[in-house]
Amino acid sequence: MGALAIKNVTKSFGDTHILKGIDIHIEAGEFLILVGPSGCGKSTLMNIIAGLEAPTTGEVHIGERIVNNVAPKDRDIAMVFQSYALYPTMNVRKNIAFGMETRGVPKKEQDEIIARVSKMLQIDHLLDRKPGQLSGGQRQRVAMGRALARDPKLFLFDEPLSNLDAKLRVEMRTEIKQLHHRLKTTIVYVTHDQIEAMTLGDKIAVMKDGIIQQFGSPEEIYERPSNLFVAGFIGSPSMNFVECHLAEQGGEYGVSLQSEGDARFVALPNGARLADRIGQKVILGVRPEQIEVAEEGEPGLACKVHLTEPTGPDTMIFTQVNGKEVVARVHPRAARHPGETMRLKLDMGKVVLFDPQTELRLV
Amino acid sequence: MDNQNKLWRVALYAVLVYAAVYYLLPLYIMATTSVKSMDEIRAGNLIALPMSITFDAWGKAWATACTGVECGGLSRYFWNSVQMVIPAVLISTTLGAINGYVLSKWRFRGSELTFALILFGVFIPFQVVLLPMAQTLGWFGMARSVAGLVFVHVVFGIASTTLFFRNYYVGIPDELIKAARLDGAGFWRIFFKVVLPMSTPIVMVVLIWQFTQIWNDFLFGVVFSSGDSQPITVGLNNLANTSTSVKEYNVDMAAAIIAALPTIIVYVLAGKYFVRGLTAGAVKG
Amino acid sequence: MTSYNGPAQYGFAERWLPRLVLAPSFLLTLVFVYGFILWNGYLSFTTSRLLPNYEWAGLAQYTTLFANERWWVAVKNLFIFGSLFIGGAMAVGIFLAVLLDQKVRQEGALRTLYLYPMALSFIVTGTAWKWMLNPGLGLEKLVQDWGFTNFTFDWLVNPDMSIYTVVIAGIWQSSGFVMALFLAGLRGIDDSIIKAAQIDGASLPRIYWKIVLPALRPVFFSTLMILAHIAIKSFDLVMALTGGGPGFSSDVPATFMYSTAFTRGQMGVGAASAMMMLMTVAAIVVPYLYSELRGSRNG
Repeated sequence: MGALAIKNVTKSFGDTHILKGIDIHIEAGEFLILVGPSGCGKSTLMNIIAGLEAPTTGEVHIGERIVNNVAPKDRDIAMVFQSYALYPTMNVRKNIAFGMETRGVPKKEQDEIIARVSKMLQIDHLLDRKPGQLSGGQRQRVAMGRALARDPKLFLFDEPLSNLDAKLRVEMRTEIKQLHHRLKTTIVYVTHDQIEAMTLGDKIAVMKDGIIQQFGSPEEIYERPSNLFVAGFIGSPSMNFVECHLAEQGGEYGVSLQSEGDARFVALPNGARLADRIGQKVILGVRPEQIEVAEEGEPGLACKVHLTEPTGPDTMIFTQVNGKEVVARVHPRAARHPGETMRLKLDMGKVVLFDPQTELRLV
Repeated sequence: MDNQNKLWRVALYAVLVYAAVYYLLPLYIMATTSVKSMDEIRAGNLIALPMSITFDAWGKAWATACTGVECGGLSRYFWNSVQMVIPAVLISTTLGAINGYVLSKWRFRGSELTFALILFGVFIPFQVVLLPMAQTLGWFGMARSVAGLVFVHVVFGIASTTLFFRNYYVGIPDELIKAARLDGAGFWRIFFKVVLPMSTPIVMVVLIWQFTQIWNDFLFGVVFSSGDSQPITVGLNNLANTSTSVKEYNVDMAAAIIAALPTIIVYVLAGKYFVRGLTAGAVKG
Repeated sequence: MTSYNGPAQYGFAERWLPRLVLAPSFLLTLVFVYGFILWNGYLSFTTSRLLPNYEWAGLAQYTTLFANERWWVAVKNLFIFGSLFIGGAMAVGIFLAVLLDQKVRQEGALRTLYLYPMALSFIVTGTAWKWMLNPGLGLEKLVQDWGFTNFTFDWLVNPDMSIYTVVIAGIWQSSGFVMALFLAGLRGIDDSIIKAAQIDGASLPRIYWKIVLPALRPVFFSTLMILAHIAIKSFDLVMALTGGGPGFSSDVPATFMYSTAFTRGQMGVGAASAMMMLMTVAAIVVPYLYSELRGSRNG
């Protein structure tokens, strides 16, 4: 059964088109991430799902119903806002109870729900405090508690972690994930942070300029990005893009790579599919961890190390291939110092090729 | 601290104290004059301390001084002002709060234009509405009545109260309203349960602002009221400008202090909000 | 298709309640501000005298108005009063604000003292200054008692000088307000700018003159607007202090309008003078409001 379906939703203000035909479908219990740079329309889409803004055209289905003309309060949803939007004049208990009071939930039931939710989120000792007396992380929990008390069909999270400091953000991320596993709720989660997207989502919709660039599982998006934007947006450090020409050499199809002082031809598995593009320019996308140190005797491209960035478990090597800066993620012990040369090889089974004109993925 | 610096601080404080004297002197003169007898006023000078304190002038100003042909003191005018100011302040503040709430949190197509239209009302010189208003009040039987004055003050107070509340409510995050809507609250429930409890500072500012404005108004009072409905400012002006018999400055000053007392008390008790109101109109944010 | 950028509203209540709630104020404004302006405008083109009548008179009332010496005295007085009042209140207010900004002890108390006249009615101010400035027993006598027997200060009863007494009382009442506005503005200025200038070796007066006050341009213009507005509307102060006298030597347009329309039975001329006042205010306020509203929309 579908939990949320968005069908050809557009949103325009006069001549400004914020959303240009959005289609999304997720099942009950799935965790959907809407991710993209600011201004991509993800928050507008979220507001449309919540019913806080009306779509210009298109349909929004929650569960079985079309909810285009259903008020937010009747959509059976709950939302956690970026600013938490806690009522500043009410204490935590009142904040959580406000929605239930409005819906006329009996007092006894309210108390039970507040007790359960606040225990689950470890805010039971804060119930009599006002939001102004809470830390950022505590406010975040209260905001989630308010949503949980609703027990809705659909949870909406609008960049809930972006106001927290780095350490707290990682902790809360884990907690949200655990909560999702435990409660099996359907969640729509807006973020501009691709790490949050990858770690939390069952499905990710990568958005830009009011269009969904790619919709799929984290693995799909990571391994088979549908265009240059998605490839560059997801993953940290970013995927390397190297311009090269498709060529044939000895019955194999591949590309030639040139470093400072070395050059070699590397074959593409299943390269025959690109036979009609021989001689044309393509963009080769390779993630830093898909570049490895060539073993003794293995073929490799001798590259000059420009700069190293140790991160602890890995070291980033900055070098140059085909005139572009390329980053490789290698084991610290394998890393050489700047000025020295390392022999590197690409994991050709995982690299992706893009058409430089359309920016779409080729294989 | 070097000598030059010290000299500069001394000069600074001297100027500041001098300025304080400049602002306080009229109040001091009003107070001392009001407790002197006329003989002492004629014999002594403006800033001399009273030799013997008498409250005769106060009693006269309150109860028996002549304001034109009548000689009942200011008491009647004072109570007229009280009757006028309470409903006028409460009604205009209430309307301003609701208008500001709509104009900031429930915008609709045309609401910005509505705001601009209302806002212009802050600036018009009221002379331009005096003649039509005098006529209209006559038609509705409210001419020369306290009710008529209340009506006028409400109508022309809406612009500033709306402006105050709207500017304050713009600062309340929209997400709070969204959250309340998702919680199932409607227009009024959001207003009374979420927005209004956050409004204490601005409610204070507007109440005090409106109270001061309406209590101190003279133009509407002198044009739209007569005889037994006139407010205190008109009473004071009549008393001070009555040209019958001998000028009694001690009575004038006592009357002026009586007329000023309510707003002075408000200023002393809630000066913070008063200043905030004054500056809010001028400095954005 | 909607081009409206606002929250979605559902059902009768959400869609219509906001408009319904705003409607009374909107209608009141429409009728009692805009409708009355038109009505008053119409009156100014009629032959109305003691009572309104709607017989068209064209520009006759304006011709009468412009031929009236008293009107031109009022306009001239407004000009004198306006420029001196604005200039004086501005100078005193800014000066005090800068001084109070020097981390002064008892700043709160001083501020309270400087600002309290703003809480007074202009009628009270006028009554008080009328007493202090009266030649017989006031300031003049005080200075004479001090030994300066030739000292005269008869501005209140001197037709050539009476408008200046209004200036004096006006500045006394409003300069504290200017101080409050500028002090708020000064407090909003980033401290590090001043520190940076001090490190560059600039003297304190120079820092204020070259850096701080130019940064307060918006405050300056707002204050200017408000003072100009007070000046044009000024009615109470003149009524209480001089009553427009001696004769009509200290009349301003506001008192002129009142006396022609309500005590001298020349309603048409009164209406015409009110229109002139409105146009003066509009000429100042409309460009200001336009830039303010546009600015806030962009911001």
